[in-house]
Amino acid sequence: MSTTWLPCGDYHQNYTQDHAWFQTKFIKSKMLALMIILFVVLPLISDSYLLSVWNMVGFTILGALGVQLLIGFCGQLTLGHAAFIAVGAYTSTLLILEFPWPQFLIDWGIAYPISIIAAAIVAGIWSVLFGLPSARVKGFYLILTTMAAQFITVDFVLTQYVSQIGGRGQAFSLPPGTIKYGPWVIDTELKTYFMMIVLVLLCTILMANLLRSRVGRAWVAIRDNDISAEVMGINVVKYKLLAFFAAGFLGGIAGSYWISTLAAISPEHFPWFLSLWLVGVILIGGVGSIHGAIFGSIFMVVVMEALQLAIMPLADTFPKLLIDFLFIKEAAFGLAICVFLIYEPNGLAYRWWQIKNYFNLWPFSY
Amino acid sequence: MKSKLLVILSVMFILAGFCSLAGAADIKLGSLNDMTGATSDVGKDYALGIGEAIHYINDTGGINGKQIKLYQFDYGYRIPEALTKYNLFKRLKCIAVLGWGTGDTEALAPTVARDKMPYVSASYSGHLGNPGKTPYNLFFAPDYSTQARGLIQAWYDNVWKKNKDFGKRNPRLAFAYHIAVPFANASVPAGKDQAKILGFDVGPDQNVTLFAIDTKSQILALKDFKADVVYHSNTVMSVAATLRDAYALQLGADHLIQNWGTDENLIKIAGPAAEGAYGCAPWAFFGQDAKLMDKVVEYAKKYNPGVPLEDRTIHTQQAYASALGMAEAMRRADKAGALTGEGILRKGFETMSNYEIGLGMSPVTYTAKDHRPMSLVPVYQVVGGKFIAFAEVDMKKMYPDEWANKWIGW
Repeated sequence: MSTTWLPCGDYHQNYTQDHAWFQTKFIKSKMLALMIILFVVLPLISDSYLLSVWNMVGFTILGALGVQLLIGFCGQLTLGHAAFIAVGAYTSTLLILEFPWPQFLIDWGIAYPISIIAAAIVAGIWSVLFGLPSARVKGFYLILTTMAAQFITVDFVLTQYVSQIGGRGQAFSLPPGTIKYGPWVIDTELKTYFMMIVLVLLCTILMANLLRSRVGRAWVAIRDNDISAEVMGINVVKYKLLAFFAAGFLGGIAGSYWISTLAAISPEHFPWFLSLWLVGVILIGGVGSIHGAIFGSIFMVVVMEALQLAIMPLADTFPKLLIDFLFIKEAAFGLAICVFLIYEPNGLAYRWWQIKNYFNLWPFSY
Repeated sequence: MKSKLLVILSVMFILAGFCSLAGAADIKLGSLNDMTGATSDVGKDYALGIGEAIHYINDTGGINGKQIKLYQFDYGYRIPEALTKYNLFKRLKCIAVLGWGTGDTEALAPTVARDKMPYVSASYSGHLGNPGKTPYNLFFAPDYSTQARGLIQAWYDNVWKKNKDFGKRNPRLAFAYHIAVPFANASVPAGKDQAKILGFDVGPDQNVTLFAIDTKSQILALKDFKADVVYHSNTVMSVAATLRDAYALQLGADHLIQNWGTDENLIKIAGPAAEGAYGCAPWAFFGQDAKLMDKVVEYAKKYNPGVPLEDRTIHTQQAYASALGMAEAMRRADKAGALTGEGILRKGFETMSNYEIGLGMSPVTYTAKDHRPMSLVPVYQVVGGKFIAFAEVDMKKMYPDEWANKWIGW
């Protein structure tokens, strides 16, 4: 078999070949090119505004990966993911501000990286608590129980109790220099960008690996038919809760990342709309695909920002266009979901898959 | 073919977007407003006022002959949206920003300090008044904490001292506000501190969201506490809902309302329930006799003829105060040859000493050590369906030591 191109058809002879990350030299080169674009080209050509847009894309991807895992791969509908992102953000912030770190850990810049892992674990455990009802309910009813996560977590626990720690009131701000990796203080858009790229890559690899394991196959089986999955010997409750843990874990990382972008948080940063937005992201990107979470995030952030910039020259003639743009954006968000559900229900990821297949199978793409 | 053309046009449109830069205006100014979010009940009028004020400034000579180009965006009271808009302002080479809410202004404070971007907010959070912590944040009003202290002081001096129970028991005060929202809770610690100074008994906080339309359970809790006075720090819609329920359930307490709940709509929405309520209004109400008010009305008619004048509110004047204050700082910096972020702060704002904006406002003073622009709290009372001047409390004069040493940055 060629090591450069895959033949037209599937000639894998074992699972190792089937699940290999880089199956051909071409794929390796493609990934290398992508890394060069992400780590060299984009930072070089982007000003602070564009970097902030990429950072927002990264935050959306980190948030959407968890939602994709729950909805797209395990079939557990959720509208409470913002709560787990909030738990991650607050855990990380409180650990940095309040935990009695030994001075050498602070000096070596290890406190924040540790706080990210701790935040992910705490958010994962918190997510499992709200995943417990999934043992008894599903579909529409599960949506309502996950929505409860938002109100209990953000409006009650974080606002009334957690925010009061340290006597700061609701708004926590992190003093300059406290968010750092080793010697690198994260204090510019560029540094935040590099941190985002590394986190997104790690989380994407983590999730992709999970999905090609026994656990991932169990999730997909539960999504496709939970009764059949149970008949096949899958412990449905255990794997559902594991999915909630993994989704919360990813949400916790998203929350920890978020504090680096502003060095401040309050419960207002995590409205219920954020959960809805993330579901919209995976609907547009494609449900049941990691690419879907990424494409959906790019579409929802970059396209909307570009539209705004594109109308800017018209603002001299129609000054109300700028101030009314949020109306346009909200309408575009709703319209995009409708259009995708009707005309491209498999989302942008499916379109990407078709394009790839066209080239892979060329000249016999019919 | 058609779909290909559509794809090509869309891509060109998007590329044009990312390549687009601002036009050739002299001075670029960004403005973040809330027209659709949690505080849009007061944000719409403020946004209209900002646009009209910039027209007025440009028509009257601009910044020493240079015109201001305004980039005004609705961010829907969403912090991620505020963050990207702020970065967009930097890309557009805006040299200063007119901001909005407490959550986003406080969240952006470290960033604007790093970027040396003067940021005049419609948030008057006391946290923003200490240049040692937030050097590039400014505002044109008594800060929320001073408002809370002033309202409580005015009520204590002018109402409680005349009460038959004065000297026999402590007055009972409770706070009704959206606990999760930094704007609403910003003044509460200062209010409670003032209550402690004056010997109030403070009841349990009542969580009234900014979207509240039914607050009966909170009112029943206030009845249990037998509150003499309730302090409200939400925006007007939820304050009106609370007053209506308090009236319906015969709470029998007085009401003290921070500036964002004190506007013409309060009387329209709450009706008789607003009667007797006390509010802080550091600017003239719309159409009231005050310096520059004729221009405010003229520009409202000229640039937003679709909005009836009777629907305009005090928030227009608030917006004028922010915009005119910013323009004056820019003029001073420009004259000093330092029209940069740092120049606008040091040669502009921080040179203002008893600067008179008009519109019924107290004079404004900024120093390098204190960004609280004023200490006078004008208190109005609703009498016969109108706001009538009730009292003025100067917190700096009344508590000089605390003002100078303790209260900055609360």
